Amino acid sequence: MMRERLSRLRFLLARGLPAQERRSELDEEIRFHVERATEAKVAVGMTAAEARRQALIEFGGVERTREQCHEQRPGWWLGTVLQDVRYGLRQLRGNRGFTLTAVITLGLGMGATSTIFSAVNSLLLRPLPYRDASTLMWVSNYWPKIHMDRVMSPNFIAARSESRSFEQLAAYTYLDGNLTGAGEPTRIIRANVTANFLPMLGAAAQIGRTFSDGEDKAGGSNVVVLSDRLWRGQFHADPHIAGRVVILDGVEETVIGVLPPRFRFPDVQLEPDVYTPLGLETGANVTDRRIFLLSVIGRLRPGVSAQQAHAEMLTFFLARTQNYPAGFARMAQGQEAAVEPLQRHIVGDNRKPLLILLVSVGLVLLIACANVANLQLARAASRRHETAVRGALGASRTRLVRQFLIESLILSLFSAVLGLLIAVATTALLRSLQIPDTPQAALYSEVAQMLRLPFGKLTAAIQVDGWVLAFTAGIAFLTTVLTGLVPAVGGTRNDLRNALQSAGLRMTSGREQRLLRHSLLLAEVALAVVLLASAGLLIRSFVNVLRYDSGFDPRNTLTAVTLLNSSRYSTAERREAFVDRLLPKLSALPGVTAVAAASTLPIQPYDLSSAITFEDIPAPPVGMRPAVSVVSVTPDYFRTVGTPIFQGRTFNPSDTALSAPVTIVNRAFANRFFGGDALGKRFHSMAWGPDHAAVTIVGVADDVRHGGLEQDVQPEMIVPMAQLPQSTVSIAVRTAGSPATVANALRQAVWAVDSEQPVFDIETMDQRVSEAIAQRRLIMLLIACFAMLAVVLCAVGVYGVFSYSVTQRMREMGIRLALGASRRGVLRLVVTEAARLILVGGILGVGAALALSRLLSSLLVGVTPHDAMSFSLAWVLMTATALLASAIPAANAARTDLMAVLRSE
Amino acid sequence: MPPSTDLLQGTLDLLILRTLALGPMHGWGVAQRIQQVSKDALQIGQGSLYPALYRLEYKGWIRSDWGVSENNRRAKFYALTPAGRKQLETELETWERLTSAIGLVLGPIPGVGS
Repeated sequence: MMRERLSRLRFLLARGLPAQERRSELDEEIRFHVERATEAKVAVGMTAAEARRQALIEFGGVERTREQCHEQRPGWWLGTVLQDVRYGLRQLRGNRGFTLTAVITLGLGMGATSTIFSAVNSLLLRPLPYRDASTLMWVSNYWPKIHMDRVMSPNFIAARSESRSFEQLAAYTYLDGNLTGAGEPTRIIRANVTANFLPMLGAAAQIGRTFSDGEDKAGGSNVVVLSDRLWRGQFHADPHIAGRVVILDGVEETVIGVLPPRFRFPDVQLEPDVYTPLGLETGANVTDRRIFLLSVIGRLRPGVSAQQAHAEMLTFFLARTQNYPAGFARMAQGQEAAVEPLQRHIVGDNRKPLLILLVSVGLVLLIACANVANLQLARAASRRHETAVRGALGASRTRLVRQFLIESLILSLFSAVLGLLIAVATTALLRSLQIPDTPQAALYSEVAQMLRLPFGKLTAAIQVDGWVLAFTAGIAFLTTVLTGLVPAVGGTRNDLRNALQSAGLRMTSGREQRLLRHSLLLAEVALAVVLLASAGLLIRSFVNVLRYDSGFDPRNTLTAVTLLNSSRYSTAERREAFVDRLLPKLSALPGVTAVAAASTLPIQPYDLSSAITFEDIPAPPVGMRPAVSVVSVTPDYFRTVGTPIFQGRTFNPSDTALSAPVTIVNRAFANRFFGGDALGKRFHSMAWGPDHAAVTIVGVADDVRHGGLEQDVQPEMIVPMAQLPQSTVSIAVRTAGSPATVANALRQAVWAVDSEQPVFDIETMDQRVSEAIAQRRLIMLLIACFAMLAVVLCAVGVYGVFSYSVTQRMREMGIRLALGASRRGVLRLVVTEAARLILVGGILGVGAALALSRLLSSLLVGVTPHDAMSFSLAWVLMTATALLASAIPAANAARTDLMAVLRSE
Repeated sequence: MPPSTDLLQGTLDLLILRTLALGPMHGWGVAQRIQQVSKDALQIGQGSLYPALYRLEYKGWIRSDWGVSENNRRAKFYALTPAGRKQLETELETWERLTSAIGLVLGPIPGVGS
């Protein structure tokens, strides 16, 4: 065995004798053999000539024997592969037009696919950067009646001691806060966490420490842990920060540590600036005084599945309901428990759009593959003579097929390199885009917003890593098979004699060949129609969503937010005084035509809702009463944001805390509770607490959407801020000119009233609208781009196939013309053939799109997944483009120069 | 031409090794010898003979030298190497085992008589 190996190695390295010499040795050996055979035949009485003839026949193909002997050499296989690669490279270099077209087509397809896959990989597949991230679960208790999907703090405390599925349970809440005592007053996001929260995720402080047990009890210590971002931004990376006192919402807190830069909060949309201990009360009884709604993350015990944990939590929450007060128990009706992997919870709504993008881009890649496969087929057909000659010289079918495949592989690898470059460049661009927080940067921000906003802070995580490389390599091999196999098998199938005879002539290409080419084209057209129809559905949805910004006028409006939640604004009077001093300062700014403050602006989410009861109807029990959203506004609000009042009056300065309570309701409210006739009606609202005087409806305003543009309109009551001051103060300023120019003056005006008060989210209303639709817009644009790319590729494909077939049939066309066919007739002949294909492809495409469009339904607004307009437009557009593409070669066929064709034959 | 018996590649290798065990021989000689000994039952196609010889040489079981043939012409003579002799022994053993096993299975068929 060893010796055999050595012997093989010797031949492999030394290659024995030079190839030329070995060949002549073999020839001599064969000659000797034939001579002896001839002699033997002469000996039994044949003539010398006949004997030699017989001996040669008996011996068979000399070349074949030579080849087979040569193939016995160890390492021969590898040598021939190298040979094929060299030959393939030469072929591709000799045919630059084809090579360039194929590499660009495939490269674009692969680049787009790899980029989208990078996003999918980074956002959906890559594990979260926490210790044993796969065992981290998002735990919540969903109450469908009031859309609550958190855990009440007493339940959390009980679950901690009772749950057997979880090794640990940790919780957090978050709120906006004001940081003062360190430079400019800054608005920050503050996360209140349990002491085990950071250790459970595996996060340790880079300076100082995180919270210790007991610090998260109610009335615990005033300590704070800073994020790396805030520490660098606001505290100049002070290494001795531990022990320093800062003021959070007016309360002194001691810094005990700083988190490392790579730590990411599980809710990426938040990225808190500071962490403070959650002041948990120890009681597990729901009737205890204070109840927080907590976001809960748990770590499963080893061996426990998410399903088991879910079953346990459901039983637990149901059992807890026994001890709820009656109102709570009713609100909890239909409750569910959710235990889902943290990763899935975080990615949440982004999952579906990303997967839809991946499928769409995959379709584009398939079309690109079909195109290149068709090019390859055409090339294989024009190389029939070459293939036949190689076959005649003894190349086996396998060898010929391999040659074609190796050429496809080389093409795919070049394309993969191009595709990877595209993916790396695109993802780097995505990461480098910053969200500008001042309206001045609006120009630059257009692009940045379009690309970055849709997936928010998640975008920073998108990158090309080993998985993306592996994915690209995978699709490179897939495209090799897709683009190479059909032409390779088809191109080498012809029997030799036929090929050698017909290759010289320009005859109609084989029936089978044509069938292949046409099926590929059919598939291309069908796929493109699917993409076009999807794009159509999304564009129509987008247009519908744009109509949802009705009820207010987003033009020329600057908005900002400030929070009155520090100790200085603990009373309603102080909050009111702040607003009263601020508004005149803003109205005095040059170019400002109207000014208002409100607890929330259009598109922003509501932050207060209240149960209501009616005077003439007996109040239903607590928990069954209808809830409406409550917005507090200053008198000029409706004029400033541009919301029309349909009936009644607007607010005026005489609506004060001392006058009779009044409200303006939206149309949804009026229709739902008063059948549209709401003016002058009275009702009670819990917003002021129980036993408050009834409030009178003095006006009905247009419906405005809150919490994004795609939410349904909610019944809403709007009350004078003087009668119900809230701690969030959103400011709206309507200007005569460009609103962005007032941004700085607005900030200064707020600081002139209170120098410790941060102002944030300074944006024009137009920007807010554009943010609200950012993700939808990006997805629509991408899919529309993919669809256009698909149409272009398809048109190129149609053009390619028919101009090839016209060249092949030049002789036939010449004969037709010579026999008296009109040039129009020839044109019609080609276009009819194309039209038949395109029609069938289109019908298949519409069928496939009808079957697949349901997958899009969650992204559709105001159109059904079977929207006739999108489908017929997709079909018409594709058919028209493809027919146009086939008309060019058809026209060429009709222009066939009769004499030239006849002469060339 | 009588239909040539299809030989398994391994069997052809074995036949060549066994034939060369008698002494160095050229390709023509090997083919003739096998044909004679098998009383024309086995005709080695030249198309498979030479590749087999090359294969065995690459494996190091036989070696080749140019010499002078019985009719005074230059010819390539193949001879068994020590490794080839060993290989022949193992292959013969395997062959014995295989044929006796097949023989046992085939056996006399009841009712057909032998």
